[in-house]
Amino acid sequence: MGLRIQPGVIGCAIRPVIASRDRSLEEVIYDTAQLALTDAGLTIEDIDGIVVAANDQFDGRSISVMMASGPTGGVDRDIMSTPSASEHAFVLGALRVATGQFRTQLVVSWSPTEASSLPEAQRLGADPYFHRALPLDELSAHALQASAVEQAQPDARLAAEGVVAKNRAHGKQAWPEPPLQTVPGPLRWPVTPAMTTAPVAGAVAMVLAGSDFITRRGVRDAAWISGMGWATEPSFLGDRDLSEAPALVAAAKQAYEAAGITRPAAEFDVAEITDATPYAELLAYEALSLCPRTQWAARTADGSFARGGALPVNLSGGVLTWNPVFCTGLIRVAEVANQIRGKAGRHQAETVRRGLAQAASGFAMQYQSAIVLSREARA
Amino acid sequence: MSSDRVGIIGIGQSEFRSRRDDASYPDLVREGVSRAMDDAGLDFDAIQAVVYSLSPDAMIGIGNAERLGIDAVGGRNKPFLRINTGGATGISSVAAAYYHVASGMFDVVLTAGADKIGECGDSQTVLNKIWDPSYERPLPLGTINMLAMSAVRYMERYGMTEEDMALVTVKNRRHASLNPKAHLRKEVSVQDVLDSRIISWPIKLLDCCPQSSGGAALVLASERFIRDNKLDAVWITGVGGAAETYWMGDRMGTAPTAEHADAYALARSFAKSYAMAGITDPMRQVHVAELYAPFSNTEFHSIDSARLVAKLGDSVPALRDGDFAIGGRIPVNPSGGTLCTNAIAVTAMARVAEIALQVWGRAGAHQVKGAKLGIASGNGGDHQIFGTMVIEA
Repeated sequence: MGLRIQPGVIGCAIRPVIASRDRSLEEVIYDTAQLALTDAGLTIEDIDGIVVAANDQFDGRSISVMMASGPTGGVDRDIMSTPSASEHAFVLGALRVATGQFRTQLVVSWSPTEASSLPEAQRLGADPYFHRALPLDELSAHALQASAVEQAQPDARLAAEGVVAKNRAHGKQAWPEPPLQTVPGPLRWPVTPAMTTAPVAGAVAMVLAGSDFITRRGVRDAAWISGMGWATEPSFLGDRDLSEAPALVAAAKQAYEAAGITRPAAEFDVAEITDATPYAELLAYEALSLCPRTQWAARTADGSFARGGALPVNLSGGVLTWNPVFCTGLIRVAEVANQIRGKAGRHQAETVRRGLAQAASGFAMQYQSAIVLSREARA
Repeated sequence: MSSDRVGIIGIGQSEFRSRRDDASYPDLVREGVSRAMDDAGLDFDAIQAVVYSLSPDAMIGIGNAERLGIDAVGGRNKPFLRINTGGATGISSVAAAYYHVASGMFDVVLTAGADKIGECGDSQTVLNKIWDPSYERPLPLGTINMLAMSAVRYMERYGMTEEDMALVTVKNRRHASLNPKAHLRKEVSVQDVLDSRIISWPIKLLDCCPQSSGGAALVLASERFIRDNKLDAVWITGVGGAAETYWMGDRMGTAPTAEHADAYALARSFAKSYAMAGITDPMRQVHVAELYAPFSNTEFHSIDSARLVAKLGDSVPALRDGDFAIGGRIPVNPSGGTLCTNAIAVTAMARVAEIALQVWGRAGAHQVKGAKLGIASGNGGDHQIFGTMVIEA
């Protein structure tokens, strides 16, 4: 990998659902950041820089990073924000550590549900002349993509139903206790209520550190970043073939080349994929070279991607279990990091040496990222 | 793997104006990008990643409006992310692009953005939404009365007068008259400023920046790429960032956590970038400065924080003596600065661009003679998030 200093994940706090109404957003962010620091065995004094990601429209503010500066420890620190996507905060934090100019980074993202209507907030993200009037929200864009995928691969619906069953089963193991039950989202043809999950409030924080810091502190459970790739689709949906995911192909190429992955389907012990709908997970299988579309139906039917299968995908239950919309991408990365660190809890897989996280954000997987995490540091 | 230094190899800026009815928002982004790419002499295949510079979405009226700019920056299927640190966004974006290259992962990175503040309706209504909805938003706060409170405290502590503020405007307008890309280029007198209507005392209309439309872009590259391709460049040798409290109330009263008259975190940010660049005596080592100051009074505490004077408040008598005019000891804002041009998403990027042009010797009529080392800054949020850079020939 071309990074000067190899970064590793040494702390995670994943709060995919925040049901409590007695904490303000600032307090939720503070709690989450503190949990990640505790998990890393650090205090805020050890943190050299912060990258946060939030959506102004969801937060009901302009420049959300301002409010977050206090609760994340940003006062008197170098803080930045990547409002494009939660996973972008991770890559920028990793790049900052890789320069050798920062020992550590705290990466935080959140997604509240107080906006009167998240679809309305998302509609503001469509251009005002052509798409806003459709009206276009993220689920509508996912549904257009699902329709395109079904057109391109006639048995995709069967495979999609298999993905839903798998992720719901994984979710039941990861989050069995009430009241943590999923609520089906709304319908956008051909996406049925059973294929989505209604948005919930959530937050996630991660602590990244450079190899020198990790060695000096004697951290033994780091999840090392061995490959990162991220890429974007073009501006307009109409310019895309929604049945393909070329930006994810590009992102995966970057990440795999850096990590030395030549046979993706055989080299990962776990994967977390942003399954806003099951069709998104299927498209990611192909773009990540895990499974061509012609085999989607067979491989979902034979349990290849289920617990105990060749490559368990979304042991956390994925977005189909919890959908804190804006920060679902960073949660995928944190889930894989925790699998490698042996800290995934009830859904921990056995012997995870290398994992793959895929994040997608925006209309119909517009922003795509692929992160390869490993138990072993590079030689 | 790249070698140590990161250089600027291409610079593009619009001629900033009140309105650009001829150009859509992506058109303006493309304008800066095209100019930067021409300046670098590269085609888009050479660009390996893009950092997009955009502050509040609401200024454009589109959520995550960076998505509309993806095509304008040639971002399709490339690494792309957006930065937002409010008014500091432009310099934070250059810093993020710098980290892309300095990490060793990329050799050539584009950073770009644009804004249409002059066409957004009322920027102060948007900017009121940066504050906490329960406590400080309803006052109502805007960025003008926020910094008017800073001016009052600065007057009290350091003896700045309304005439001193007017002198900043007079200086910067004179500088802008030499810069064809500046928005407000008409020279004004001290009396003109004092006679202009009060917006939020002591800030008057001519103490305020305009609402500008335009785009900007920079191309950054690794030293290895620059050497291998025999390119000309100037070098980013110091990068810093620091924030202070979000809460205005915590910067005032009798025991503030950070005095609102000053710019405590800006000073911390400069200290970081100076340490990285090996600058120990800025008063002697810095040749030129572009300091983000959207209101005349804020140029004083920016100069203080950059340690271009011996102690806090000394910027006031030094400015009276002409130290910061072109031809003076350390020219500050020879482009006319933020006071004469403010397209928020790229204003702090323009500070970096202008300093790069200065140390490159390419600034044109507002060139500071012999400038080889310059500094740039950006202020974001409610005067809360700061970024700084040192650029050298």
